[in-house]
Amino acid sequence: MLRPTTLAMILAGGRADELNVLTYYRPKSAVPFGGFVRVIDFALSNLMNSGIENIAILSQYRSYSLINHIGTGAAWDMIGRYRGISILPPFIDSQQNDWYRGSADAVFKNLDFIRYHAPEEILILSGDHIYQMDYQDVIDYHHKKQADLTVVCKKVARQRASRFGMAAIDDEDGQRGGRVINYQEKTERPEGEWSSLTVLCFRPETLYQALAENQADTSFEFGRDIIPRLMSQGKRIYGYKFHGYWGYTRTITEYWQANMDLLGDDPQIDLEQWGVRTNLDHRNLRGHQPALFGAQAKISNSLVYNGCLIDGTVRNSIVFPGVSIGPGAVVEDSVIFFNNSIGRECRIRKTISDVNTSFDAGVRIGQEPEGSGEQISVVGWNNQVPPGTSIGPGATISPSLDATKWPAHVEAGRVLS
Amino acid sequence: MRRKASEALVLLLAGGVGSRLNLLVETRAKPAVTFGGLYRIIDFSLSNVMNSGLNRVGVLTQYKPLSLMGHIGTGDAWDFTGRSRFVKILPPRTGMKDSDWYQGTADAIRRNIDFIESNPTDEVLILSGDHIYHMDFAAMIEYHRSKKADVTVGMMVVPKSQIHQFGAGITNQDNRIVDWEEKPAVPRTNLASMGIYVFDQKYLLKTLARDKNEIDFGMHILPWAIDNDSVFAYPFYGYWRDVGTIQAYWEANMDLLKPESGISPEAWQICTNVEAEGRGADRPATRYLDGADVRNSLVSAGCVINGQVINSVLSPGVVVERGAVVKDSIIFRDCRIEENATLDLIISDKLTCFGAGCKVGIGTHHDIANRLYPKHLYTGISLVGEFARIPERMRIGRNCIVRCNATPDLFTAPVLQDGESI
Repeated sequence: MLRPTTLAMILAGGRADELNVLTYYRPKSAVPFGGFVRVIDFALSNLMNSGIENIAILSQYRSYSLINHIGTGAAWDMIGRYRGISILPPFIDSQQNDWYRGSADAVFKNLDFIRYHAPEEILILSGDHIYQMDYQDVIDYHHKKQADLTVVCKKVARQRASRFGMAAIDDEDGQRGGRVINYQEKTERPEGEWSSLTVLCFRPETLYQALAENQADTSFEFGRDIIPRLMSQGKRIYGYKFHGYWGYTRTITEYWQANMDLLGDDPQIDLEQWGVRTNLDHRNLRGHQPALFGAQAKISNSLVYNGCLIDGTVRNSIVFPGVSIGPGAVVEDSVIFFNNSIGRECRIRKTISDVNTSFDAGVRIGQEPEGSGEQISVVGWNNQVPPGTSIGPGATISPSLDATKWPAHVEAGRVLS
Repeated sequence: MRRKASEALVLLLAGGVGSRLNLLVETRAKPAVTFGGLYRIIDFSLSNVMNSGLNRVGVLTQYKPLSLMGHIGTGDAWDFTGRSRFVKILPPRTGMKDSDWYQGTADAIRRNIDFIESNPTDEVLILSGDHIYHMDFAAMIEYHRSKKADVTVGMMVVPKSQIHQFGAGITNQDNRIVDWEEKPAVPRTNLASMGIYVFDQKYLLKTLARDKNEIDFGMHILPWAIDNDSVFAYPFYGYWRDVGTIQAYWEANMDLLKPESGISPEAWQICTNVEAEGRGADRPATRYLDGADVRNSLVSAGCVINGQVINSVLSPGVVVERGAVVKDSIIFRDCRIEENATLDLIISDKLTCFGAGCKVGIGTHHDIANRLYPKHLYTGISLVGEFARIPERMRIGRNCIVRCNATPDLFTAPVLQDGESI
């Protein structure tokens, strides 16, 4: 019987504070993206397309949305005798009753699970990046170099480096990869120019030992604690050099930009070609009819999924299922999540609007003062924006705002809660 | 005590050829023909069954069933999987005595008496799989019970000019059917049968056992039952279309673009199997580029639109390149319409390619019927079969047919005249 040899573990526990109202009620990995998928679908689809079908998801923050999204795992073909997705939430037992204290602690607490599967290699992934990668190629490289750990890295400009774990990689295998000779987590002037993408391939024994030793520390993160520990022990750590598109979604601006990278004649993110799959039962995606365009509709440079009703104008925007855009309304440079209703004569510019929000007639966002609006406005879910409300650029609106709290004008950059 | 109405057994007749749909049924049965971009015709019947709370279904197939069987799959798309829920395919089969194809609607049911007997039930609901409508069958079964009927027939008012296509019932004040005319040339009524019957199970078994030469419900079974037993009409008000002709099929698709027509697959909760043909609707959101101009149209996910789409219905995966125009047309999945091609009043089956600059559907002679099939194509619609490839700059007139798998070398002249075929 053909048993899987790779166990993949997806770190999907985090919230990402910078995403603000988008992650009040869901973890970052479950944030909608690109007109119909969730951020975690990229990691899951990459796994499916790499033929890795034994997956564990470490989930802690507001996990319901994620559990609902994963369903049986059938959407990614991860259902069968040796195929499956297990969700591993924090738990208490006779030894401990703590939350996951960090990414490495989360994996440590599930060592029983890992040992049961007895994998030949353990692939640790983050569930919140937008990319396409063949992990088999990473695993091949890992074995070829007989590495203890292989870290997938991408070259970044040094001025952006302070946010990432940065590796210096030698040219042992040219563009493919090399030995990691230096690794620094989030420093101002790193020695290396390769940022870790939180795609880590471990030799199991190396991982078990490092996690056990790490328990004596006070911090439990792969980037901050585990990789430096293995470096200092002189383990064989290799860098796999990744040259494709990499979308961060850690801040509102990054998230918005990654969505915009779906647009254009030759988009940087090609969901069809990447083979990205999602769970069509989540939010009843498969229950929608094709998008219906009215006689006055105008659309250009945009993505629209099934289940939309477009009577207005849509430019440079991403529109999720169940959205209606009324006559005379203009939506541009925006990302409109599921089941928004945009009334007639609305002007919505550079806005991310979370699910189930409706904009009554004549609402204006990001319009005035004219020409100043490069800031992105974010509207939380389940809001009912009163008719004629004007919202300045860069404003943030809390989810489910009380109807009495709406002023006629929300100033630019204001946080309304 | 009677069983719950939802425990009725459903038999869905999906075996007919539907030959008037011409090319569209060359490789598939009529119920499996694409409708409304994402759906197949049979989805409407199956979803109505699901939404009525009925969940034991037999589908009788005969003509080219492969596409249909693939589409139905496990029945999961309509929630027909589970301990007491199922959808079973019932193809014709040989036996000790019977070794023939299904001869008609009643004959098909008769050859599956063992299936009916093995599913004890009070009523059997018999449907056809080729109509576009939204109906609550649980309410119909309750009505059947309240009338203490042996048979109840779903019926609706249609224009008298169309009654010749249907079975017509003459009812009394109590909705009891007192007389019946099958496809009358000179109608006495405008009440047409929708081909939807509720039978008491025992009555159905008794009736089918009577005479093997009674092969059709409308021709044989109902007239006899009306004369001898208690047959009621269940009046239906709402959108219902037999899409058995190219013209009716095109019109029903165009109705989707007009919400006031009363047809709405999403509001009706019509479900489909999106995984039947490869990835089906499991596709990304449709990309609209700078050259897109989309009005009064229905566009499925997975398309790339950089041209004009007016009054049209697009299935998943259709590519409309820059400068191309698609007007008053129905385009099945994964067709490619290259730069500056113009399509006017076209039904194109899946995976075709319209070469750059071709013009399909030109001129004003909508009345020059197709020479080979004058009864199929006579209103101006041209048909393009699956996998056909139309050469660049080719010009094709009205009521034309381009056969399945047609390759560019078959187009020997630069123009295909009105009513001609490849």
